Order: sequence, then structure tokens, then C-alpha cells
Amino acid sequence: MQNKSNFIKVDCEVNGKPVSLHVSPDQTVVDVLRNELGLTGTKKGCDDGNCGACTILLDGKAAKSCSMLIGQVRNKKITTIEGVSNGEILHPMQQAFIDTFAIQCGFCTPGMILSGIAILNENPDADEEEIREGLHGNLCRCTGYVKIVEAVEIARDRMNAGGAKNEI
Amino acid sequence: MSDCENTNYIGKSVQRVDAFEKATGKAKYFEDYQIQYRDLLHVKVLRSPHAHAKIISIDVSAAEALPGVITVVKGSDTDIPWSDLPYASAYYGNPARYEVIWAGQAVVAVAAESIEIAEEALELVKVEYEMLPYVTDQRLAMGVDAIPVTSPELEIAAGYGGPQPEGPNVMGSYKLRHGDVDKAFEEADVIVEEEYQAGKKSTSQIECNGSIVEYQQDGGVKIITNGCGVHGVIKNHILTMYPQLTSSKVRVIQPVTGGSFGNRLFPLVEPLAVLMALRTKRTVSYVLTRKEMYTSSPSNWPVYTKLKLGAKKDGTIIAEKLELVEDAGAQIRGYFDGRLSSSGLMCVYNIPNVHCDSYAVSTNTVPCAPYRGLGCAESEWAMENLLDVLAEKLDMDPLEIRLKNMIKNGETNAYGEKVTSIGLGKCLKAVADGIKIDEPCQQDDGPWKYGKGIAAAGKQNTPLGRAEADCLVHSDGSIEILVSCDEQGMGVQSALRQMAATEFKIDIARVKMTRADTAITPFDNFGASSRTTYTTGNAVIIACQDAIDQLKEAAGREVGLAKKQITIKDGKAYIVGSNTEVIDIADLFKPFDFFTQQTWGLLKGTPVRGRGVFCPAPAVPWFGPGHEDGRTPRMWNWYQFSAFGAEVAVNEETGQIKILKLMSTADSGNPINPKLVEGQIDGGVIMALGFSIMDHHMYQDGKMMNPNMSDYRLPTTLETPLQKNFMRAILPDPLPDGPFNAKGMAESIMIPVGPAIASAIYQAIGVRPTEMPMTAESILKLIKDKEANNAK
Ligand code: FES
Ligand code: FES
Repeated sequence: MQNKSNFIKVDCEVNGKPVSLHVSPDQTVVDVLRNELGLTGTKKGCDDGNCGACTILLDGKAAKSCSMLIGQVRNKKITTIEGVSNGEILHPMQQAFIDTFAIQCGFCTPGMILSGIAILNENPDADEEEIREGLHGNLCRCTGYVKIVEAVEIARDRMNAGGAKNEI
Repeated sequence: MSDCENTNYIGKSVQRVDAFEKATGKAKYFEDYQIQYRDLLHVKVLRSPHAHAKIISIDVSAAEALPGVITVVKGSDTDIPWSDLPYASAYYGNPARYEVIWAGQAVVAVAAESIEIAEEALELVKVEYEMLPYVTDQRLAMGVDAIPVTSPELEIAAGYGGPQPEGPNVMGSYKLRHGDVDKAFEEADVIVEEEYQAGKKSTSQIECNGSIVEYQQDGGVKIITNGCGVHGVIKNHILTMYPQLTSSKVRVIQPVTGGSFGNRLFPLVEPLAVLMALRTKRTVSYVLTRKEMYTSSPSNWPVYTKLKLGAKKDGTIIAEKLELVEDAGAQIRGYFDGRLSSSGLMCVYNIPNVHCDSYAVSTNTVPCAPYRGLGCAESEWAMENLLDVLAEKLDMDPLEIRLKNMIKNGETNAYGEKVTSIGLGKCLKAVADGIKIDEPCQQDDGPWKYGKGIAAAGKQNTPLGRAEADCLVHSDGSIEILVSCDEQGMGVQSALRQMAATEFKIDIARVKMTRADTAITPFDNFGASSRTTYTTGNAVIIACQDAIDQLKEAAGREVGLAKKQITIKDGKAYIVGSNTEVIDIADLFKPFDFFTQQTWGLLKGTPVRGRGVFCPAPAVPWFGPGHEDGRTPRMWNWYQFSAFGAEVAVNEETGQIKILKLMSTADSGNPINPKLVEGQIDGGVIMALGFSIMDHHMYQDGKMMNPNMSDYRLPTTLETPLQKNFMRAILPDPLPDGPFNAKGMAESIMIPVGPAIASAIYQAIGVRPTEMPMTAESILKLIKDKEANNAK
């Protein structure tokens, strides 16, 4: 059914592995991640770029994957929630979200965890206000953000105290 | 190793059972199943651009001819099994037939090979409308002369016509008479009266509503959905709508879901998706866009309240008169009559004389349905605000007047129903202390003015039918609980797991939860009215006890003891009152043996199955002979309570409000998992903060003007106070019949937030808001009006 004549080739790295995609150029990154690569941990909560559920890391920075066309990730490094843990060993951010009960329905969680990691990538000592600033593009309707902010702070402290290093 | 002490999981913050899968992206939500289907069809819907119009003609021929389009559905199709139902509360997701009654109502639906093709097809559909007058403001929809929301022909076609003496849009009414209100007002020393309005808002859970329906070779359907109530709601409704589907042909599965807050309590997407699957004999997926979430999935119901209170000099309130109108949105038939919202005005304070006239009207706006709190945040907005007015007149403080009039445990409320659990007094005192209500705010010369306020709240629990649970004891000695309750994120399956582990006195790691699949988990109604902890929780306990009973019997038989001499703990059978272990539970299960043929006893591989059925006592009718006053000894079930205090800053020049400090307290009954309860407090407070000062539907020309997440402003991390300024406490009063004395709590949290903020605003700048949300524009207008008045 699909006309593949206008498909483009996009090489990038997803969760540490090289990926070569042959896709329609009007596809968004989130749709390719979910539908082509089966990485359904990245969520879609809106169509206007406002909820943050689709947040991924692009070269270590938070990005909304629903608002980017697939061509924009050419030769870039993508990290999705599936690539955050090291096998069974959770990233300190994931562990902190679990420990603090920062997860309720969990739909915002992948995006929140990745935004949290991006905040600390940029500033390992981010304080509460900086964390809030960094998370403000991610909506959560369940938690009131209280435990989410607490989780990022705990992850920060654990990482700074020499927990697993943040290498994403 | 565990003993009874450390296998008592009640009151312990055990980690959520689903936290790991959610933190790693492994949790599967319904949309994540799409990639399993290579031949998936996608449903898209054309929606009415008009608030009210007659459908003259629909031409779908070009859409049908588009390659990749498999089927097109319109309301007049003869194979649609519902002719009148698109206009009733449970079915309004289906295409309209004669007339559209709100902007956003479905008109034509397409199933196609891709979303793009489906969208292209919709552009080819031609609909001719004849515009009709509409009304979107509930105050204008009241009365005999109001513009009718539906034309009389439609009502007759829908079978719900007939004389409506109170006005064309009145859907129902509820009246209660308690005591002698006229006399009480005569005896009152102080009387206050005011009109209040609470606006229209959307729950805005982050996951949009949707379903995947897989067509089965026997002609049945398997529905994977984030809708609520796999048995009680979805399966039941689908069976009613499609007589060709019988009970064995409908399987409903609810995977992990991303919030609901009341929005998904009625099947909105499932009926259409099922129709498409039946027509095409293929698997279809129907997912609402965010815009559709706002314009076609239900909002709360806005409430208008005119409230009058009369009190004696000492602050005792002796008379209450209320006129309340629920706005049900665009629907012809529904459950609306004003009773749900007015319950908020009768469950917190003990007032001996009450006169309640409540109604529901329809309007040409998106249909309304429950929103966390069931209309009580909207109605108690009036009570809590007016109490402050009364307190000021009596020269009392807001805490004192509330404590004085609060209903006490064992007293009967205006309905005539006995209150069995209320911890509101300590909740209120704690918030007053927490925000130091007695210490006035420091003011300065800048535009920001500061104030503090507190408010109280209660919310009834509606007995909404039975819950069942199965408890399997596997032959490895582990436990599996099967339930069909909704898990929308609140963590109830984690709480139920704690109850089961506690019943079995077993390490919680050995308890597994299996949930919400009508083919394997037993009946439950739906996750409404904060009922799950109570109703499903009681069912789980009964199921565990049944299984334990069977184990005792089996163990007793094995070792030659009477059942009552056996106790079960830690996966083993012991002699009652001793530490003498008689047998390991796993050893009760025997492998198959040729010579015994397993003629009795427990077989390895076949679990023991305990059954639990819990039915809350039903409500007693409040109408009919003997109930002319609208009263009944059992209107609801139990009540949850909460209190809230806030310190706010108001900008006199812009009307902007900032929450500087807040405290919320919850009477949750005995909390099963305190961290989960805290999560409900936090989430409830911030959701309420949103609808108190930010988010609401805006209408222009009959259409919602802000159906997206940037114009519909929801709280983010920036509007939320810093952690050190966010205080909370769980202050329970045990519920005698609750599981481990717990009760639900997630709704009452919402209710006092708006009024406490309003009270703080009054303290800061001397204006009393009466409309919610208290947006900056509305506060600025109050300031200007006050200045104009002062100038006069
Ligand atoms: S899906 Fe909402 S911002 Fe990307
Ligand atoms: S946990 Fe549900 S939206 Fe954040």
C-alpha cells in the first residue's frame, strides 16, 4: 500500500547500537521508534508537543521525539527509556523513581526519567529550582510532581556520592 | 524468614508491584500492542464543527472510494444497532444520527489501512447541516424559556420526549426536605446568601483514550483498552449494544493504563471500535487525539450553587437552603439530577434543617461525566466560601466555625444516614497549625499581597456493586490474586497484594497479581467513587480466607488434626497457638501416582482456588412512598474527608496568584500503604490547584477554544510549590467495615483546595471570588470592581 519511492535512509545510533533506517521522511521520531523499532517505552500523550511523554535523549540532551522528523536524527545518538538501564542494573535515576514512589500510572515516567537524566547531564549539581525548570516541559497528572522532583534530587545525590556514573 | 510481625504489611510502604516495569519502559499500555498486528486498521472520526445543527445529508461516496478505506460508518447506517443511543450518557461516542448537539460530536467514522488514509478520507466526506440555536452557558440553559439543547423531534426520535415543566433542558431533579427550614431561618441571628459557579474542566490524563479490537474467528471480539470496568462497564455495554455478541464472545483486557480520574468510566471508544471490527472482520485500533480528548471525551460537570445559611450567635448553623444545578453537557438521557453534587453540601456539617432543590440541565457542550470528586469540588466550593462569609459576620475564625458544626462519628446527616468514620477534625486542626493560620502574613509595599486560608471537605462513596476476587494457592506454595479492578495508576493492586500477603502471613514476594482480563479474572464493577480499596479489598480478604480454610482442611487431613487446630503462616501449616510446624503447604500438593490416581487431596499443578465475593449493602431508595422528603437511611456508603490550608500571594496589579505554602491532610481510613496515599494527596492537590486557578474550557461561538495542552493550562513543576512548602499528613479515622479498616481517599483531597485559596485571597486583597477557576483575569476584575465601588 505504501509508496516507498520517496523513502530516505537515516543512519543513527539508538541505545548504543548503530541503526540504519529506510523510512518515509514525514515520519516523526516517536513513530519510528515505536512502530519500526518496537521501542514502545517512548510514549505519546498529545499531538501538540506539550506533554513531554515522548521525551528522549538526543546526544545526551532532552528532546521531544513527537516534534522531530526522522531526518533530524541522522548521525545522532538516541537514548530511549529502554537504553537507560544496563541490563538488569537500573540507572540511579530509575532506581530513585522506584524508591521514592515517583511513579503512579507511569505514562509520564519514561519522559520524566530521561528529562531528569538530561538535567544532571548538563548540571550534576542542579538544585530543586533548576530541576523544576528542567522538568517543566513534562506534564504529570498523577503525582503533583512532588515525588518526581524528590527522585531527581536523590538520583543526583547518589550519583554525586559515587553511584553508577551517568554515561548516557 | 518471616513471622507474623513482619508479614503484616498493613501500613507499610511496600514498593509498588508495577514500579520496575514502568521505570524501564517495559510496561505495556494498550497502544503498545499495535505493533503486534501487521494488518491493523485505524479508525478516525469526523466531528461536528457546530454546537447544534440538523444533519441534512451526508455524502461518503468519495471517502468510500478512496483506496485503503475499508468501511465508513454514519449514524443513519441501518446495521448500526443503536438508533437513539448516541445521545445518552453511556454511548455518546457513536456517530450522531439526526442532529449534532455539541461541537465535537462524532458524525462519520472511517476505518482504513493507515491513519493518513483515514484522515484523507474524512476530508472527502460532505455533510450538509442546518444550523440550530444553541446554548453553552448552564445559567442560560435553565428555565422554561431557554433555548432547547435538542430539537423536540430528536427527543421524540430518541424516545425521551414528554412534558418537562421545569424547562426544555432539565434532565432531572432531586429534592430533599429535612426539618423546618423557614422556621429555622426565622430563628437565625445571622443569615448569609451567595451564588457560586464552578467551571468546566477536563481530567487531561496523559494517555489518550483508545482501544484495539481484535476480531475472532468465532465472530467474537477481544478488546484491549484503557477504558474502565472490563466486566461491569465495557463488556456489559458491548453485550447490550451488539446482540449478536454473547457473553462468551467478548473478552476485554485492560493492560497498564495511563490515568482516568473518572474520564473513562463510560465506554467512549470501545463501541465504535467493536462495530468496525465486526464489519471488517479485522483488528482495528481507535485512539483519540489530544484535541478529541478535550472536545469529545467527557468533562466534569460544572455546578451552579445558590446557597443560604442561617446561624445562631454562637456559630451553630441551624438552616441551609440550597439550589443547585449540574450542567450535564450535551445529552438527552443520563443519570443526572443534581443529587451527586448536592451530596457535598450535606456530608460535612450537621445542619438540622435543610432544604435542597437540585437539578441537572443539558447544554450544547461536550457531555459531562465523573471527574475525581463527582461534582463535590464544584458544590463544596459554595459551602466553604459561604462559611467564611458567615464566620466573618459572627466574628468567629474559620477553623472554629467548621469544628463547631462538623458532623461527628455516629451522628446522622441530613439524609438520615449514620456516619461511621470521620477524621476531619484533626485534619482541619493540622492544616491550621501547619500554615500557622493564626500568624498574619507580613505585607510590604509591592504589588504582591499575602493571605492564608483553610477549608474542609467530604465526599460520599457510592455503593457501586459487587467485586469478586479469586485467590490461587499454587503447588509451590505461592499465592496469586485474580481481580478485575481498574488500575489507573493509584497503586491499588499493590495495596491489594499487601492485604493478601498479610492474610496469608507470607513474604509479599510470594504474592502475584493478575488483573483485568474477563477471560480469566472474576467480576468487578469499575474503579469509581474511590471504591476499589474498600470493595475489591474486602473481596480479596474473603477469597484469601476461603483459600486458607481449604488449606487448613487439607493440612488437617494430612496430619490427622481438625481444621480448627491448624493455622497457616509463612507457607506452612502450624498447630494453633504453637510454633509446631506440621507440614509445608507445597507438600500438600501430591504428584500424580498411578496407584492412587489422585482420587483425593491436592494435586501438584492444580492450585487451590479461594473465592471472594463482596457486595456492599445497597442504597435504600430515596423516592417513592415514605420518601417524599428525599431522605433515606442509606443514601451512600461511607465518607472520606480532607482539609487543606494555603498561604498565597496575589498580585494586585495583575490578579495573578502564587501558592507559597500549602498543607493537605487526608482521612483515608487506616492507610494500607502510606506512600501510595501520599501520592494521591500530592496528585490530588496539584490537580485541584490547576482547576482552582488555571484550567478550564473556554467557549466561543459554541466551540471550545482551547482544546490543546498549551491553551488548556495545566500545572507544571513551575506552578507547584517547592518541596519544603508542600506539607501533608494522613490522619485516619478507621472505617469499621473497610478492609483492615481502610477506605478510599483519592477524591476528597481535591475538594478544599479552591475554597482555601479563595479564603487566602480574601485575606490578602479583600475580594471574595465566587467563580472557579480563579484565573488572573477574574481576580483582576474583582479588584477593579472593588476599586470602582470604593470610588462611589
Ligand atoms: S507526545 Fe506530547 S510532547 Fe510529544
Ligand atoms: S505518573 Fe501518571 S502522568 Fe505521571
